[in-house]
Amino acid sequence: MASSYDRFMAVLDGRPGDADRIPCVNTTSVATLEFMNAYDAHWPAAHHDPEKMAKLGSAAHRLCGLDNVSVPFCMTVEAEVFGSVIDFHEDSVRWPSIREFQITEPSELEIPEDVAEAGRVHVVVQAIRLLKEEFGGVVPVNAYLAPPFTSISSYLVDSISFLKWLRRSPETVHEFCRVTLDTYVEIAKLYEEAGADVITLHEMGASTNIISPTHFDEFVKPYLSEITRQVKTPTVLNICGSTVTILESMMDCGVSAIAVDERTPIRDARRLVDGKQPGYPIIGNIPAYDVIHAGPVERIGEAVDSAVKDGVDMVAPGCDFWLETSTDNVKAFVDAVVKHAKT
Amino acid sequence: MKQIILSGRQIVVPSPPKNGLVYMSERTRERVFKKLTKAVDLGDDELAAEGANEALAAGILPYDAIIHGLAEGMKLVGDKYERKEYFLPDMLLSADAMYAGLNILTPHIPKDASRSKGKIILGVVEGDVHDIGKNIVKVMLTASGYEVIDLGRDVPTPEFIEKAKSEGAQVIAMSTLMTPTLMSMQDVEQSLDKEGMKGKVRTIIGGGSVSEEWRERIGSDAYGKDATEAVSKIKTLIDTIIATAESMKEEDGSS
Repeated sequence: MASSYDRFMAVLDGRPGDADRIPCVNTTSVATLEFMNAYDAHWPAAHHDPEKMAKLGSAAHRLCGLDNVSVPFCMTVEAEVFGSVIDFHEDSVRWPSIREFQITEPSELEIPEDVAEAGRVHVVVQAIRLLKEEFGGVVPVNAYLAPPFTSISSYLVDSISFLKWLRRSPETVHEFCRVTLDTYVEIAKLYEEAGADVITLHEMGASTNIISPTHFDEFVKPYLSEITRQVKTPTVLNICGSTVTILESMMDCGVSAIAVDERTPIRDARRLVDGKQPGYPIIGNIPAYDVIHAGPVERIGEAVDSAVKDGVDMVAPGCDFWLETSTDNVKAFVDAVVKHAKT
Repeated sequence: MKQIILSGRQIVVPSPPKNGLVYMSERTRERVFKKLTKAVDLGDDELAAEGANEALAAGILPYDAIIHGLAEGMKLVGDKYERKEYFLPDMLLSADAMYAGLNILTPHIPKDASRSKGKIILGVVEGDVHDIGKNIVKVMLTASGYEVIDLGRDVPTPEFIEKAKSEGAQVIAMSTLMTPTLMSMQDVEQSLDKEGMKGKVRTIIGGGSVSEEWRERIGSDAYGKDATEAVSKIKTLIDTIIATAESMKEEDGSS
């Protein structure tokens, strides 16, 4: 039987025929409350402790058979590197968030000299090493990061001001992206050196629910393209939200595959993507809340079947696992993919 | 004596211009309304301020300028957003233009007409800082004559409850764009329940990740899929509350 690594890489390399079955993956956050309990890897500790991070990042594989492991569990690693103050919510399990947006212009950014030692980059790097040691060549190790546009617009600068600049002061937006770009590239390269098999660019702030396709081409594409140009490992571009009108631009970013959520209908995506490059891999798009969290098992099965039928090359939730999702439901999700492959 | 509460539309009797001679042509009104609408559509705050000042100079009722000019513009922008011609940056600049006009017009609304039709606590739930949609709802509610207590974004659950109590608000309106923060809405509903305020204070939810199914699950009173729908549903909620209060008063009187 082929390993998770073999089937995942076969699809990313554009040889889906070599995979023994369609992979079931999640290239974003794989954390849930039950996984935290199962491995004593709770938040916020698991954001700071590489061993806990590695345990939590591999729980979905260990307990449910997911075809990859994935770290970290938030979008704030990069923003923290540039000086954002992160609230890890010491008293309850909540997503890390930004306490206050203090940066209002590019000159206020702290560009770290030693990226490896900045913020929690070393924690993620160490967690990747641990995962690689344990799973190398058997289960693909995914590391995701918030790329410039999403990181800056949602976690570094007040979103409202930033989005207005797209029309009022495009140069400011470019300046922010330009001065930070090398650091994002450096973070991706550190993850790569540590042993990540795939780097996911989680550009959730760039869907057409937020910005126009024209702005995507102007403010998102060039920076993503530069990251993928400098990174050798396979890359995935994950965008939750509507992407139908930017799918071709997403492919232009030089990534190995694109990942979308339920707001991008797979049938449309398949047609558009194949029109540009037949067989280009699409990952998606099972609703993380409405289906995987909510269940029941039959509904998960139906959703998986129709996503595969419509043309995904890997089955995945559209975004992070919902924290309250039960282990049984994640298991049912993976089982549904395995079962589909047998029919 | 029974107090008569007029629900729904306010009857505004415009006071005639002081000299009684100013002749305001329909064409002037239309031109000014169009300018305000266009300013909001283009997201041009200077043009909106110019239009608002012209409205005042021409003796157009500020309330009319808001409804037929600015709010009309916002509706147009909302439609374009729906059709994916406009995106969030456009909505934000349009909201700015709307505020620029509102800031000039609102102080000139006669006391009677500006009497609030109801009080609404508005905020983005805890954990989320995306408040664009909320701001648009606020503009439209204000333009429609409601008093809006804006708690901003990342609002802790207790604050919604305490404010609703201390302000005697009829409605709590919550939004969130993101999925992980949906739970905060449920927290507010549960707290209302605990405080015995459910039913007395009505709730409406909206935002990118919110759905009718979610409303049903957590037991909110209404779900608005966009700003326009949110405003019309809030109006219905408040009208219902007023009607209920009236019928209770009648019952009291007959006993």
